[in-house]
Amino acid sequence: MQQPTGVARPPLEQEPGNLQVLEWSGYELEALWRAYAREFPDEKVKFTFMTTSPEGLAKVRVGASPDMVHPANAYVQSYVDLGVLQPWDTSLLTNFPSLSKGLLPAGQVDGKQYMIPLDWGFDAPMYRADKVEIGPDGPSWSLLYDERYAGKIAWYEHPTENLVIAGWEHGFQNPYDMTDEELDTIRSFLLEKKALVAFFWGSNSEMENEFAAGNIWISYAWSDAWLRMKEMGLDVVYPEPKEGRMAWVEGLVLLADTENYYHAHKFVDAWASKGTSLWLLNNYSYGHANMQIDFSKVDPQLVTAFSLDDPTILEEPRTHVDRYIPRADLYSNIWAEVKAS
Amino acid sequence: MAVEAGADLKVTSGSRHMRMRRRLATLGLLSPSLVYMGIFFLLPVGLVVAYSLGALTLFPGDRYLSLESWGYVFGRSLYMDLFWKSVRMSLTVSVLVVTFGYPVAYYLAMGARKRKYVLLIVLIAPFLTSYLLRVLAWKVILGGNGVINSLLYSTGVRDPGDPISWLIYSQFAVILVLVYVWIPFVALPIFASLDNLDRSLLEAATDLGASRWKTFWKITFPLSIPGVIAAFIFVFIPTIGDYVTPALVGGTRGYMYGNAISDLFLGAFDWQTGSALAIFLLIVVATLIAIFGRFLNVRTVTIE
Repeated sequence: MQQPTGVARPPLEQEPGNLQVLEWSGYELEALWRAYAREFPDEKVKFTFMTTSPEGLAKVRVGASPDMVHPANAYVQSYVDLGVLQPWDTSLLTNFPSLSKGLLPAGQVDGKQYMIPLDWGFDAPMYRADKVEIGPDGPSWSLLYDERYAGKIAWYEHPTENLVIAGWEHGFQNPYDMTDEELDTIRSFLLEKKALVAFFWGSNSEMENEFAAGNIWISYAWSDAWLRMKEMGLDVVYPEPKEGRMAWVEGLVLLADTENYYHAHKFVDAWASKGTSLWLLNNYSYGHANMQIDFSKVDPQLVTAFSLDDPTILEEPRTHVDRYIPRADLYSNIWAEVKAS
Repeated sequence: MAVEAGADLKVTSGSRHMRMRRRLATLGLLSPSLVYMGIFFLLPVGLVVAYSLGALTLFPGDRYLSLESWGYVFGRSLYMDLFWKSVRMSLTVSVLVVTFGYPVAYYLAMGARKRKYVLLIVLIAPFLTSYLLRVLAWKVILGGNGVINSLLYSTGVRDPGDPISWLIYSQFAVILVLVYVWIPFVALPIFASLDNLDRSLLEAATDLGASRWKTFWKITFPLSIPGVIAAFIFVFIPTIGDYVTPALVGGTRGYMYGNAISDLFLGAFDWQTGSALAIFLLIVVATLIAIFGRFLNVRTVTIE
């Protein structure tokens, strides 16, 4: 499906326009692509939604044909393997030089920039400081498996994430590509610890409602959840676990058979702007690959909590940025077994 | 003789023509339903069967033309255990719902008299609210700081912050909510069978000196059994594959067979195993309907 290099493309004016984007709910807001909306005021961008990156992949596989998709970096390789992507022409993106050099490899496969990294955020075991006692070694991912808080813990519903977290907690070398023996250990561990968990959350709001109601005290959470819990007046901590936080990176990928090649580049360029970066931080408390922003315009509490002004914040071993999981099917099967048991 | 034979021929040809017309008319009348069922039921089921056998695959790396998914259903105790857990929960719900629904239906049919249709509307009033909202409302009631636990805190029965943990995110919560949701469904078919009961039989029993209790057990209840069985099926079949209620109030303990199917399709994207699990459930449900259909005696209905 991939278009051969050098094939003549119609110029922007001859493209059909009216882009179609497979997105996350909440990312359809015009504030995130305002420059595009200004340049093409008559354009109607159509959004369809996914709830997980694998779901987006499956939708494309069974026939959805958007111009762009917004997956997590760990799934870009799978899209490339399916042959449904083409690399971006980064020379067409005015904001590309402003993007964090450290994040660009997250969107590359075989040296080609298939995903423009845009938004990122942390994963950590968020907890209620007034309910949870932290040991002398400081907070750890083991909070998610702490028997003292049985019934007050929530895990994230995801086919691979819980295995990776448990892998870090066990101190394994590479939780994204564990050996059979390591996976057996993780399987038994999760099967045992599942009894402590109240529920696996599928949506942020579901977890936040239960957290705010006091039904759970510890949960795997994204950074924006912490901000909302703070705003509600809860004594809540978004820790930096001793094993390191995890981080997700997402961005836009370009479908191989798009008829809106140049429109898509304009759209992703708008997303990559400083204005979007600032808006995303202040409104969703998510990081953005365009770090060349004036941090004085960002909530100082946010900058401190996530060390946003530290250029090394996303580097190992402090933070583990998600990676492609070669045996994701096996991880998924183990997770299915944990849930069904 | 030649004339008679000719007349016979005419009659035969005429009746054949009539039969043909009748068949065409029947086919014409049925065809919209048949086309609808073919496109929206048989074809999707065929596709799911094809996925379960690997004749269709979602991703290139999936197992092609393989019975491995079916091996997962029967070979791994994991999914069969989950299936039997769902059967147990669904049976519990069905028995409880019929037990609670019967007196309601009995009162509506036998005792409510003029008010019965008003009360019937009251009974089905919850259906005017979304299913999701009704289930979510239970989270407010059963939650750690919900109505029940708050009452226990305020009355000093339990210390604040020490809620009854099994009220929510448990099998109990799933069974409770399903019973609540399905009671009106059960009351309706039982009400219909009781309301159509031949009252002269009850009068005859009274005339012959039977007590009310005996009349109920010897006449009313046996005659309402088709309604009870219909009600039981109405509950058992949808609840065995339910996944919304367990997902909302079941937590990790209330996980059911339907959740495994949903997760395999939408989480793990293992459509092959998900399809095998779904087809297995479909076969079980179809078999149950066939068996219960015999009990319901629908083939021997007579019109007076």
